[in-house]
Amino acid sequence: MTPALARRDLLAALFAATALPGVALAAPDAALFGDLDQAAAARIGKAWLAQHPDIGRAALARRLFPSGRGPDALPALRRRVSEDFRHEAVFMHRGWRLSETEGALFGLLALEGAS
Amino acid sequence: MAFIDARTLPDASRIDADLVIIGGGLAGITLARELAGGPLKVAILESGGREIDAEIQALYAGTAVVKAPDNPDKPFDDYPIQSRARVLGGSGMVWGGKCVPLDPADFAARPWVPHSGWPLTRRRMQPFYDRACDLLEIPRFDADNKMLKDPARPPLALDPRDGFFSAPRVLTRYSGGADKDAFDRFRTDFADAANITVYLHANVTQIRQTAKGDEVEGLDVACLDGKRHAAVGKTYVLAVGGIENARLLLASNSVRPEGIGNRHDLVGRFFQGHVTYSQDSDAETEGTAIHISGQASMGLYSTLRRSLPQCVVAAGLPAQARMGTGNFTATFNGVVQTETATPPEVETQAMRRIASRVDANSQGKGQLFGFFGMSEHLPNPDSRVTLNPSVKDPLGLPRIHLEWRYGKADWDNLERSAAGFGDALGASGQGRVCWPIKRGQLLEISSASRHHMGATRMSADPTKGVVDPDLRVHEISNLYIAGSSVFPTSGIANPTLTILALVMRLADHLKRDMGARR
Repeated sequence: MTPALARRDLLAALFAATALPGVALAAPDAALFGDLDQAAAARIGKAWLAQHPDIGRAALARRLFPSGRGPDALPALRRRVSEDFRHEAVFMHRGWRLSETEGALFGLLALEGAS
Repeated sequence: MAFIDARTLPDASRIDADLVIIGGGLAGITLARELAGGPLKVAILESGGREIDAEIQALYAGTAVVKAPDNPDKPFDDYPIQSRARVLGGSGMVWGGKCVPLDPADFAARPWVPHSGWPLTRRRMQPFYDRACDLLEIPRFDADNKMLKDPARPPLALDPRDGFFSAPRVLTRYSGGADKDAFDRFRTDFADAANITVYLHANVTQIRQTAKGDEVEGLDVACLDGKRHAAVGKTYVLAVGGIENARLLLASNSVRPEGIGNRHDLVGRFFQGHVTYSQDSDAETEGTAIHISGQASMGLYSTLRRSLPQCVVAAGLPAQARMGTGNFTATFNGVVQTETATPPEVETQAMRRIASRVDANSQGKGQLFGFFGMSEHLPNPDSRVTLNPSVKDPLGLPRIHLEWRYGKADWDNLERSAAGFGDALGASGQGRVCWPIKRGQLLEISSASRHHMGATRMSADPTKGVVDPDLRVHEISNLYIAGSSVFPTSGIANPTLTILALVMRLADHLKRDMGARR
C-alpha cells in the first residue's frame, strides 16, 4: 500500500459514519481532509509518538481499527474517545486536552505519512 | 418618610428608631423595602449621598495584597477603594445587574472542602430566591428552569454522568449600570413610607455595647464636616459591605478588645473573592479556548443580553466529589473563529478538525470560543481582613489591611476542574478544551471581581461562625449582619441575588421577632 492510499483509507474511515458508506469510501480524501495541514498533523503525531516510543505502525493501526477501516470504524472510535475522557486517558498538546485515541490517530497519520 | 442629610442636623442629635440599618446599599435598602409601611420605625444610616463622591469613597482606602503559592505576591492596594461604592444604593450604583443563585452544591457540607457547608440548603432558600427574583423583575431560577427550554438556544448535550451542567445567569435592569432611572426609583421610593427615614452622610464609627457585652446600646455617628450624632434602636442590622462589616466589628472594641462578635477570632477571617482566569492567544501560545464540534447555535452561552439568559458550564456536586474540588465554571466569550476562517494556528486547526469528525453528530465543522474559568475560592482562615490601628481615616476609624490568600488546594482545584471540564465536554462528544495556563502565571493573569465574601461567616456553631443561621451575631442579642460577608462559602455566583434572598429571610425573621407582622 502506498502512503497516499493508506492515508486515504484512514481518513475515509473517519468520514464513513457521517455519510453513506459507499460515498465515503469512494470520496477523495481531499474533500474530507484536504484542508487538514499534513505537516501540522504530523507534528502532533510525532509529539504523541514521542510519549509512546515502543509502538509501531501496524500495532497502532490494529489498536485503532481492530475491525478494519470500514463504516463501523468511526462509531467505535467515538466510543473509545468517550471512554478515554472518562478515564482521564488524555494527550495534551499546546494546552489542548485530547483523548489518547485522538493522539494515536495523529500518531498513525504521522507514521503512514512517513512510510 | 424622608431623606435627611445628617450634616444638617444640630450637632449631637439623637436618632431613634425601632430598627437601625447601618448601610444604605442593596442589602439595607431591600430590608427597608420589606419593612416599608409596617409598624416598625426604621432608620437607615448611609455614609454616602446620592452621587459617588471621591472624598467619601476614600473612607474605604486601605492596603491589600494577594498571596498564593508558586506566584509572586500581587500588590492590590487600590482594591478596597475601587471595588465598592459608598453611596445611596451602594455598589448597586455600578453593578452590571447579573443575577444567579448559588448552586445546591454550594450550600452542601463537602468533606473534601474544609470549612464548607451552610446551615441552610438551596431548597430552604428557594422561596427567598423567588422573592428576590420577583423584586428584580427577572425569571425565577426554579426547578422548572424554563430558561433552558428555548429551542432556538439549545443547551449543550452534556452527559449527566460527568456532573457538569449548564447554569443560567440573567440581568436585571435594577442596577445603576443598566437602567439608572429604574435604579434611582429602586433606591429612593421606599422612603416614601411613613415609617422609613434615610440619613445620608451618616457614618457609623462605633457600635456601642452594654458593659456586659451581650447587647448593642447605640451607635456613634460621624459626618465628614465634623458633626457627631448618636443613633439608638431596639435592633440593629449591619449592612455596609463584605469588608466594611468586618472593619466596623473589629473597630468597635470599647468593651471587648477583640471587637464585637469576635470571641473566637473569626471576624475578618475566611475572606473569599471571585477571580477569572483566562489567557489570550498570540503567535507563540494558545489562549484559553473551547472548541465546540458542530454548528448548533451557541447563543445560550455566548450571548449576554439584558433580555436573554446566558449559561456557563458549571461543576455540580457529583463532579466536585469525583474530582475532589470545589465549584468551577467556564464562561464562553464570543466566537473567536469559525471553521471557514483562516486558522489561528495550523496545529490547532488540525486538532479541531479531528475532534469535530470524531464527535457524534458532527460533520467536521466546529466553532471556537475564548473562555474564562472561575474556581471557588476555598475557605481559608488565613485569608483575612485586619485593622491597621496606626493608620486611621478622617473619621478616626482604623484603615483595613486585606491579605487575600490562596493555598495549594486552590490551584489544584482550578487545574483539576479545568481538566474535568475538558473531559466532560470530550466524553459527551461536544468539544475540546484548551487550558494553557501555567501555575506560576495564575495570579498574574487573574482578574478580580468586586465580590467580598466570608469575613463574618454564618454557622450554627458559635465557635465556627460570627452569625447564626438567622444572621444574628452569636454573642449579641440585637445585632444582625446582612451582606455577602455572612457567606460561609462563596461558590461562583454573583452574590447580589443571594444577598437579597438572605435579606428577605431576615426581614421575615425580624417581623416575627419584633412583633411587626402586618
